[in-house]
Amino acid sequence: MSGSGERFSGRAGRRLAAIAGAALLLALGLVMSTGTGSLSIDTATTLGAVGAGLRGRGEELVGLAAIVWTVRAPRALLAALVGACLGGSGAAMQGIFVNPLADPYLLGIASGASLGATVAFTEGGRLAAAFVGGSPTQPAPEGMVPVAAFVGALGAVVLTMALARRRGPTQATTLLLAGVVVGSVLIALTTYLMLRDPSHVRAVLSWTLGSFSWSRWSDVRSIAPYAVVGLGALLVMARGLDALQLGDDTARTLTPRLGWLRVGVIAAGSLAAAAAVAFVGVIGFVGLVAPHVMRRLGTPDHRTLLATSSLAGAALLVLADVVARTVERPVELPVGVVTTLLGGPFFLWLLRREA
Amino acid sequence: MRVGAKAPRFFWVVLLVLLALALSCGRDAPKPPADLAPAAPAAAAFPVTVRDDLGRTVTVKTEPHRIVALLPSHTETLFALGVGDRVVGVDDFSDFPAEATHLPKLGALYEPRVEQILALAPDLVIASEGGPAPERLAEQGLVVWAGSARQLDEVYRVIEVVGRLVGKRDAAVALAARVRADIERVEADVRSGRRVRVYYELDPTPYTVAPGSFLGALLARVGGDNVIPKGTEDFPRIGPEVVIAGDPEVMIGLTAEDAARRPGWSHITAVRRGAVYKLTPAEENLVSRPGPRLGEGLAVLARYLRRGAGEGSR
Repeated sequence: MSGSGERFSGRAGRRLAAIAGAALLLALGLVMSTGTGSLSIDTATTLGAVGAGLRGRGEELVGLAAIVWTVRAPRALLAALVGACLGGSGAAMQGIFVNPLADPYLLGIASGASLGATVAFTEGGRLAAAFVGGSPTQPAPEGMVPVAAFVGALGAVVLTMALARRRGPTQATTLLLAGVVVGSVLIALTTYLMLRDPSHVRAVLSWTLGSFSWSRWSDVRSIAPYAVVGLGALLVMARGLDALQLGDDTARTLTPRLGWLRVGVIAAGSLAAAAAVAFVGVIGFVGLVAPHVMRRLGTPDHRTLLATSSLAGAALLVLADVVARTVERPVELPVGVVTTLLGGPFFLWLLRREA
Repeated sequence: MRVGAKAPRFFWVVLLVLLALALSCGRDAPKPPADLAPAAPAAAAFPVTVRDDLGRTVTVKTEPHRIVALLPSHTETLFALGVGDRVVGVDDFSDFPAEATHLPKLGALYEPRVEQILALAPDLVIASEGGPAPERLAEQGLVVWAGSARQLDEVYRVIEVVGRLVGKRDAAVALAARVRADIERVEADVRSGRRVRVYYELDPTPYTVAPGSFLGALLARVGGDNVIPKGTEDFPRIGPEVVIAGDPEVMIGLTAEDAARRPGWSHITAVRRGAVYKLTPAEENLVSRPGPRLGEGLAVLARYLRRGAGEGSR
């Protein structure tokens, strides 16, 4: 009796420690991200700008203070939201497929978003000219790339699910294979479009590596609802994911509507990941690594895992963006490269320590 | 399963690495001075032996009559030297003069259409030093000179070398002198004006040009003070904060609407004054091609800088 009580409190403590630790790391990252960048801005100016911004007077700021509030603050928050979406979505995908190698891009989100963005980059001007007017050689209209990427990402997931469905009850393996095929086909199309129009190669490649350079408050406001709805829905379905880890048959007795659970988790996870990718491009590795790290440092039940993975994904991405902006000032590195270079060794260290 | 899922991203990484390698090779390759053979009377100009920018020794035995040009500035130089009728094929981007647009398109720097080029049986290929084209074509037994001007002062040298390769040495010397005079005329026109803080955007990632690059040097010649610090790599992806803090008076390479929409950019002097200029494709070609029309390109930059400085009506 007392033994199980102790174990419970140990588990609860560990759970609390993991959540608090990840949240603290994220808070630290947000402070660093607002305090550093391509320029050196002194602490007093930074604090003053954040203070004024929080009081709703960010628009009145000028000079370096304006940079803090209109450039750095939304950038830090956008990185956090995107990281949270990818980390949480990764944990959900690993849970629903009971596969440690799953990540948010498993069902074609990355390739679908890339195709959508590439179509916008290369054909955006022509499409706008045909439907709205203007010259066919104009660049893609403002806002077209994220919308096209979002539609492409969700379209790829729907296509994957539809293809896998044709063969009676959907098997996890069939879904994975359909995801691989859809992903490959879409990547081939993307590459073809890109090479046909070499003037956009750099824009497309930069996009596929992810960027927070143009983060705006309006982007933060656009992503936030998807993050809240997607991650919130995943938390609600977390218990079902726990049951699933015991195997499909056991899960079926515990969760009678296994098929619906799968659809629900995939839909919520895809929504969060697609929104994240649409605004900043494809950022790899966060969605794969954050859940693994938190499974080892926290507790493996999915409610905790989803929360901690989101926090850890957010922290990793915010810190990676700090590094991307500062190691080679005033040049910025692609943030996707930094996440991999930062997260990879840490993950390996964790694996080896355990083994 | 994992391999399949990983493959697309792996592909991108490979593509990017290859591109980066190719670009850095092209840029950092040592640049031996062109080893001009001793002067000889025009009639006895051949054989001509010159070193190219890859350090290869290239010998043209007899006057070439079937020339392939794989860089727009080379195409323009050949036509300006009066041997346009001997050009049998060009790269995909060569679009000047108008006659060049009717010639077979033979691919680009990194994807030369080797079979098509071989089928034309050229007796001279003039390429740029970047990419796999020079080596691949030389392996097939073609005579290939590979090089281009990466600094402003190299433009004259490259024009003269191309002239020697095609037996137009005197015309090339005259052409180089004309280009030099064009450039000096533009410089003289702007010498009295004040210097103008400028930002030049290559694409909205944003990639820009640093002072040490070819375009950076052009901007400096016509009174531009680049807001990108010296010592930055030639074509950096810059942190947008640097542009805001540098407060350029003129911005080139993007539209005023795009600039105004970017976070924190609406306070930049150039945006407030409306001194944000998107070059037309024709103007972009003028400023980015180190060929016979470089003086015109410099004039384009000078015009926008002066206009942005409030001296534009002249």
